[in-house]
Amino acid sequence: MEKKYKSSDYAHVLRLAVIIVVAGVLAVFARGMFLPDTMGQYGHYRGSDLVDQRNVEIRSHTNESCYECHRPIRLIHKAGVHKTVSCEFCHGPYADHITDGKYVAKMPVKRDMEIKTLCLRCHNKIIRARPEESIKVVAMPQHLEEKKVNIAHNCNQCHMVHDPLLWVKAAYDMMGLEMKGEKK
Amino acid sequence: MSAVAHGETIAAVSNYIFPNDLHVHWSLMIVLYPYITGLVAGAFIVSSLYHVFHIKALKPVARFSLLFALAFLICATWPLLNHLGRPERAMSMMLTPNPTSAMAGFGYIYSAYFIVLLLEIIFIFRPIVVGLGQKATGFMKALYGVLAIGSDNVSEKALKLDHKIIAFLAAIGIPMACFLHGYVGFIFGGIKANPLWATPLMPLIFLLSACVSGIAGIIVTYILLMKLSGREIDVECVQTLVKFLWGFFILDFTFEMLELFSHFYMATHHWHTLEALYSGPLFNTFWVAQVGIFSVIPFFLLMFMSLIRFKDGLLLFFAPIASIMILVQVLLMRWNVVVGGQLMSKSERGATVFHPMWLEKEGILPAIIIMIAPVVILWIIGKILPFWMDDEGVEVA
Amino acid sequence: MIDIKKEIQKDRRAFIKNVLSGTIAGSLLMVIPAGAALDERLPEQLPGMRGDDSPFTEKKFAFVVDVTACIGCGSCCVADKNEYNVPDGNYRTWVERYVIDDHDEVFVDSPNGGLDGYTEPRKDIPYPVRDTFFVPKLCNMCEKPSCVQVCPVGATYKTEDGFILIDKDRCVGCGYCIQACPYSVRFLNPVSRTAEKCTWCYSRVRQGLLPACVNVCPVHARKFGDLNDKTSEVYKILREPHVISVLKPGMGNQPALHYLGLRREVV
Repeated sequence: MEKKYKSSDYAHVLRLAVIIVVAGVLAVFARGMFLPDTMGQYGHYRGSDLVDQRNVEIRSHTNESCYECHRPIRLIHKAGVHKTVSCEFCHGPYADHITDGKYVAKMPVKRDMEIKTLCLRCHNKIIRARPEESIKVVAMPQHLEEKKVNIAHNCNQCHMVHDPLLWVKAAYDMMGLEMKGEKK
Repeated sequence: MSAVAHGETIAAVSNYIFPNDLHVHWSLMIVLYPYITGLVAGAFIVSSLYHVFHIKALKPVARFSLLFALAFLICATWPLLNHLGRPERAMSMMLTPNPTSAMAGFGYIYSAYFIVLLLEIIFIFRPIVVGLGQKATGFMKALYGVLAIGSDNVSEKALKLDHKIIAFLAAIGIPMACFLHGYVGFIFGGIKANPLWATPLMPLIFLLSACVSGIAGIIVTYILLMKLSGREIDVECVQTLVKFLWGFFILDFTFEMLELFSHFYMATHHWHTLEALYSGPLFNTFWVAQVGIFSVIPFFLLMFMSLIRFKDGLLLFFAPIASIMILVQVLLMRWNVVVGGQLMSKSERGATVFHPMWLEKEGILPAIIIMIAPVVILWIIGKILPFWMDDEGVEVA
Repeated sequence: MIDIKKEIQKDRRAFIKNVLSGTIAGSLLMVIPAGAALDERLPEQLPGMRGDDSPFTEKKFAFVVDVTACIGCGSCCVADKNEYNVPDGNYRTWVERYVIDDHDEVFVDSPNGGLDGYTEPRKDIPYPVRDTFFVPKLCNMCEKPSCVQVCPVGATYKTEDGFILIDKDRCVGCGYCIQACPYSVRFLNPVSRTAEKCTWCYSRVRQGLLPACVNVCPVHARKFGDLNDKTSEVYKILREPHVISVLKPGMGNQPALHYLGLRREVV
């Protein structure tokens, strides 16, 4: 009555147990192989990433870097009211200009109405919310009307972009007048 | 001009969202993943109701539920892999899981559950597989040999041990199924930055709606498959399933509504953003669809079917309708939680919009493909293992 | 180095010609190592950082934003985008404009994150405006970061010196950290398909430079320094009785980014 079987009564259970254990061991072994070396060095992250992060390319510099080569501009810009304005804001990041100490490409220069748009980003009175103590704001075209200037004029026809008060001050000097409400 | 309280100054007049909040990052794929694992967990509960709690009426579907669960479990990782920006690094979740991250639980919980389910199926089907292997030839014979773990022993001693193991697996399978879905709920519930998601009820809501979707899925597929193969449907089985479905749905619906009601009642700092969400972008998908149509109607259908003894034909007509509506309800719930939660900007002053596209990477077409895949896999499984036989090889239904 | 300075002073034109033709560049190359090494002529804006190769610094860096100074020019946004080639539509930092009318209704906007500056006034304010201001936003570098808590693989982490960084080689792009950040400073970079955010310019800071946004701000609204240095501006601001706030204090993340003059309307 008892059937004869090729396998023992519990063979399948034992085989499954062995398969699971072997798979577990292989998994642990594989984990060791694939785990980054510095994982967990300082915390639950790859420790060598700290080095990678330090080596992220620095693309913008400071105005000092531009001044190194652009001497005439340096004299004007550093002494003027725009000295806190970044060269790279208008002209693009240093890394696009110099790579490995070598000149790479010419930097963009704003022209025509681009200049006016750029000026108005900071100096537009109509955009409220500008703290008056920090920056002079004007409304266009009222500013031109006030100054009795042709309203089609661009900003840089009176205001040299690297030091906006340079020509204005010179004009006052020539006329022997003092500038009113001169801001620093 | 009155003095303004702090909260009033936050209220949205203009719709302002943070610049980085424009894009909804978790879309259809993340809606599908809990939906699929929900079906798995729910189907497993049906099987355990028989194997652990000895609800005899569920015997006809006890085995099929496991195969149903397996088919969907196989596909559970697909939406996630499709969603990841770097799916080739997905194994990192198993290599270096962050112990503070609920999502890191995925790799191990999923694998462990897969093993338990697979083992349970192997043990339950072993006598049948042995029998089928003896009659088969060629590739199928070899396949059955593998599935029987190379053993042909179906003696009383062997089967006794098998039964003990099955009981054990079915028993630990229940808390594991709870984990499989509860942790998904906590992935959302633990995000304090999102006022819709951050609630201790989230794991519970997800788990209960998982059970609900699984039971509904079993009802629909059982009736459908029986009809397609021209077999007789065990009405008692369907009746029992309907009762359990109603019971779980009462709990599920109660918690879903309780969560929202608590927010509304307490009206804390974030209520105004939630309120704007539920009365605005989510009004149709939540109030009209998820609650109004797909919760209220099936609730009453299930209630009538559970409390009143319907004629067989009527029961077999309304049960699949209610079940399909429940399946839609659960999908909508996942959608409203996952996508709805991301519509609100963290600026607390506005909401973004989201429209899934057909042909994008995480779009509607990939979603459909991913949902059809388990059905295809189930069909393939059906060619290998019988859905409806019991131990002695006698047709149950 | 002295030779080069003499060259420059001698004849600027000749110098530039030589640079262009690469002869001096050749010798520059001998002085300045190629690759990611820093141009030694860059000013040391943060003392004691250059040449420090230890994994963590001893400094206790602080970032302070002065809302009363910001003019909404967007230089910071431009500098940041240039520095990291941030893809369009994603923002490591941005500037918001707040307009409040005399019925106490608050209107907030941030067109393209303030990258193009604010060129148009708001036209949809129904009542006279009583108050306006700009608010720069960036990573809050929380002391209890919820983003680090949820990262499933340990790709984002907090260093011992308080920086929260993202390991681009390990991030799987799941997006969980983006969901967890209460300040929406994180985004998924569509090119690398990994998470990204403002790092307070970690690599610049480690080499003694100020973060790019701090460096370019023309009105000194953004401030960065070492709290261990009792003469630093940030030390004075954070230790003296000013009105200092953080964003969403109720979240429990304990942001390290502090605001001077933050308004109650800001979220």
